[in-house]
Amino acid sequence: MATRAWHRTREAIFRMLAYAVMAIALFITTFPVYWLATNSFKLDIDIFAVPPVWFEFSPTLKHYEAAFIGQPFLIYALNSLIIAVATTIVSLIFGTMAGYALARFHYPGRWRYQISFWILSTRMMPPIVTIIPLFIFFNFFNLLNTRLAVVVAYTAFNLPFVTWMMKSYFQDLPPELEEAAMVDGDTRWGAFVRVALPLARPGIVATAIFSLILAWNEFLLALILTQTDRSMTLPVGISGRVTQYTTHWGEISAAGFLASLPIIIFALIVQRHLVRGMSFGAVKG
Amino acid sequence: MRERMADPILTVPTGSGTAFERWRERHLRILMLAPTLLLLAGLTLFPTVYMLTAAVQNVSPDPDVPREFVGLGNFARMLTDPELHVAVRNTVVFTVVAVTLEFLLGLGLALLFDKYIRRLNFLKTILLVPMMIPPIAVALTWKLIYQPQFGVLNELMFRLGLPSQAWAGDVNLAMATIIAADVWEWTPFIFLLMLAGLASLPSEPYEAAQVDGASAWRQFWDLTVPFLKPVIAIALLLRIMDALRLFDLVFILTVGGPAGATETLSLYIFKVAFTFVDIGYAAAISLVVLFATVGFSTWFIKRMRLAD
Amino acid sequence: MVRKFCLALAVAASALAISASAWADITILVPSGSEGDGLRAAAADYAKLKGTKVEIVQAPYANVFEKAANAGQTKSGAFDIVLMDDPWIPFFAENGHLENLDAYFAKMGVPGPDNDFLGKSLAVCRNPYNTGPFVCIPYVGNAQLFFYDGAKFAEAGVSGAPATWDDVYKAAKAITDAGGGRFYGYVFRGGQGNNVVADFMPLLWSYGANLFNADRTKVTLDTKEAKDAMTMFMTLKGISPKGVESFGPEDVGRAMTSGIAASSINWPNWVATFEDPSQSQVVGKISYAPMPAGTHAGSSEIGHWTMGIMSAAKNKQEAFDFMAWATSPEQIKISATRGNPPVRFSVFTDSELTSQPQFRHYPTLMQAINFSTPRPRHPKWPEIENALGIELSKAVAGTESPDQALANAQTAIEKIAGISQ
Repeated sequence: MATRAWHRTREAIFRMLAYAVMAIALFITTFPVYWLATNSFKLDIDIFAVPPVWFEFSPTLKHYEAAFIGQPFLIYALNSLIIAVATTIVSLIFGTMAGYALARFHYPGRWRYQISFWILSTRMMPPIVTIIPLFIFFNFFNLLNTRLAVVVAYTAFNLPFVTWMMKSYFQDLPPELEEAAMVDGDTRWGAFVRVALPLARPGIVATAIFSLILAWNEFLLALILTQTDRSMTLPVGISGRVTQYTTHWGEISAAGFLASLPIIIFALIVQRHLVRGMSFGAVKG
Repeated sequence: MRERMADPILTVPTGSGTAFERWRERHLRILMLAPTLLLLAGLTLFPTVYMLTAAVQNVSPDPDVPREFVGLGNFARMLTDPELHVAVRNTVVFTVVAVTLEFLLGLGLALLFDKYIRRLNFLKTILLVPMMIPPIAVALTWKLIYQPQFGVLNELMFRLGLPSQAWAGDVNLAMATIIAADVWEWTPFIFLLMLAGLASLPSEPYEAAQVDGASAWRQFWDLTVPFLKPVIAIALLLRIMDALRLFDLVFILTVGGPAGATETLSLYIFKVAFTFVDIGYAAAISLVVLFATVGFSTWFIKRMRLAD
Repeated sequence: MVRKFCLALAVAASALAISASAWADITILVPSGSEGDGLRAAAADYAKLKGTKVEIVQAPYANVFEKAANAGQTKSGAFDIVLMDDPWIPFFAENGHLENLDAYFAKMGVPGPDNDFLGKSLAVCRNPYNTGPFVCIPYVGNAQLFFYDGAKFAEAGVSGAPATWDDVYKAAKAITDAGGGRFYGYVFRGGQGNNVVADFMPLLWSYGANLFNADRTKVTLDTKEAKDAMTMFMTLKGISPKGVESFGPEDVGRAMTSGIAASSINWPNWVATFEDPSQSQVVGKISYAPMPAGTHAGSSEIGHWTMGIMSAAKNKQEAFDFMAWATSPEQIKISATRGNPPVRFSVFTDSELTSQPQFRHYPTLMQAINFSTPRPRHPKWPEIENALGIELSKAVAGTESPDQALANAQTAIEKIAGISQ
């Protein structure tokens, strides 16, 4: 059976090639992260060494001290944490309900499409020009420089994505279980809370990750809505270390590296949900 | 299948439960939509009105100078603004090239991963790391990597015996450096979405195809691609919308240079609105960008039959 | 359990998100970095001393202008005092964002800031330049210095401070030629926009040219002087490292600290970095001088940080009191010890400071300020700088000939300034 042997060899070659490609992809993915991480432990003289220093440098915690003790990065991190968690929770509650309503209820004419598209289209506004009216808006309500303003703005920015993700997820869940619950006397709302929501947990977790990433890393809106330690977030704090004359690379690397850790750790914890939780109606064909 | 629940509202046993429950059940559809719709309307209505009014006015940076109605004057200005034209061209080039590369790489990696490496879950998470790092730190790290004298990239070129490059400082390479950094940061997003799509593929059609002796290539084109189409469409749409807004990378790596090679729309709108403080003109450009994006998305969604 | 934890976290986060804005007597907008940190420390001292609560709002340097302009245009009153870079002053003053300070000085019984301030420092705070009313008080005194590696320059045949740009070129070319693509004699900020303009202006001035004529009725980039300046600028570009087309002050400074480049224009804040062994491989090797001459005397670009009161401010008198206190001789001296160059003669010449190594550049810096030139004073300077920056970037990147770039810049600036030929 020559063909069979050939088949097996070919399969083995493909497998080796796949591993090789993956190895390259992993290297390209991790190298800049490695560079960011090591720069945070290097003295400036090593960051700018010619040729670059790869492994052999005397590590220092100077930049961590400068960022987290000399500069209020701990406070920025706390602000970011509060804002990211609050945004994620609020946008998940709102977005899950809206997504469910769009997936399950009956609409006259093309209303389902119209509403869904309008929700998505709010994300197409060029953010740079919405910043000025938003500034006036929050100033009017005396909410500038509060974490609340940032949470409200981020929630609005996040909702289209959350709604669409959850709408697709609910559309792919079979409705029979909810029907059964209602036949057993549960209300429509009860069927949503007690049947649909638990089934949608992977979807909620996967959506939460995206929402967290966005709220944790957003820069432009935070820049205009925050002003002092009371509300300033990590990305704004980081960009503040690029000054008129110089860039504090070490502090930026230290803050940037530490800022990525919580999200990465969270992603590792929930990684099994990450793929399962995302559904875009692929099976509908 | 969904159609079986033709009008679930009617399935509610009326007459049971408290008055509040009955009221809630009757209006459940709008009640569940309301928070989202109200918040989005509240936060987009004012900016939209502001933008529409400013776009037809000459808005002075001096608050005591009354706004002057200029009709379509701001829009006419766009026709003869060379910097804007450069920005539009660069934005389109960036969006097309970056999103295409991200899509091909993301889909390719997802296919490989799905077929060969499925069980090593943590590798998948590692591949996702770039999009979890604050973009501002990403941009600054790439700036260091590209730096012509101390950067690692030129060190790598040197080790490989290749000539060193100016990267972000080279008028012909600057856009490529921005695209490369963006591809690094956002290919993981496409990769994840594609993996999710692949994971939800049904197995029966593939078994049938196997029996028919269809080649792997045929199976990919006839089964995988059609099945994945909705995921592909939404992934592309989300990426295109974000690529059109590119800001951080350009602002930190090149500030639009050299010689305007990386001037993008959002950078230009930023300059007009905040550096020149010409709010009317900035609003006019933004309005055109908004209409173009909405128009494109409508066409794209129809084309991909995403709507239902 | 997990659900309860999540719920608790949610409630806590939402509660924390709603924190009312605290009350302060005066609010000051400052850039992040040494100026902001210095003023933040001063504000803390002031609060302890006078019981006035001063709130410091920090924004990244690149965004201070936009925050201030936004507040000024919307009359939001979010800031009482703004720490401004001096080229922004015409924009803020001529668009009604700034309070005229003459009345406040009159109330103090003085005609204006005292004569201990350097003349050039005070001139930028008046609008129109040097003649109009005071709209701000200078706080941080900066002007570009010319940095060079004395030993390398001497070896290349130019000993002592280079007197002219021709000397700079002579030495720098020898160093670049001998450097084998690793070492260069000169490096500059070639990045599009503010960067390339900042390093072009001193050349323009030292060849007797400027952007406008004296009364701003003509753009003067079509003169022979401007072309001579451009020729020298491009000649120096020819011996600069690869990639200067995207360089900012950071890249230029690091090229010096790592010993790659032997001379450059830069801000005086780099003096401390050059002497810090954890950041620099050239400790003790870098000298500084006022700007070299071209066909005319050399002149560096002034870059002062000044404090002005916003027209929409809520507590103007308290704001002025703070400004008067923070710019007093004692406070400017304290500010100098916090790393911000002074604006007062008495502090520049204070022997207690100048005897310390980190202040040894003070005599040179004072001289540079005294011979400095401000960026063209025009309310549309940001737009003009952008247009000039694009054309200079095209010349530096070689997509346009230097003459063409000057001609295009001339047309673009005429259009922005509303000057017809």
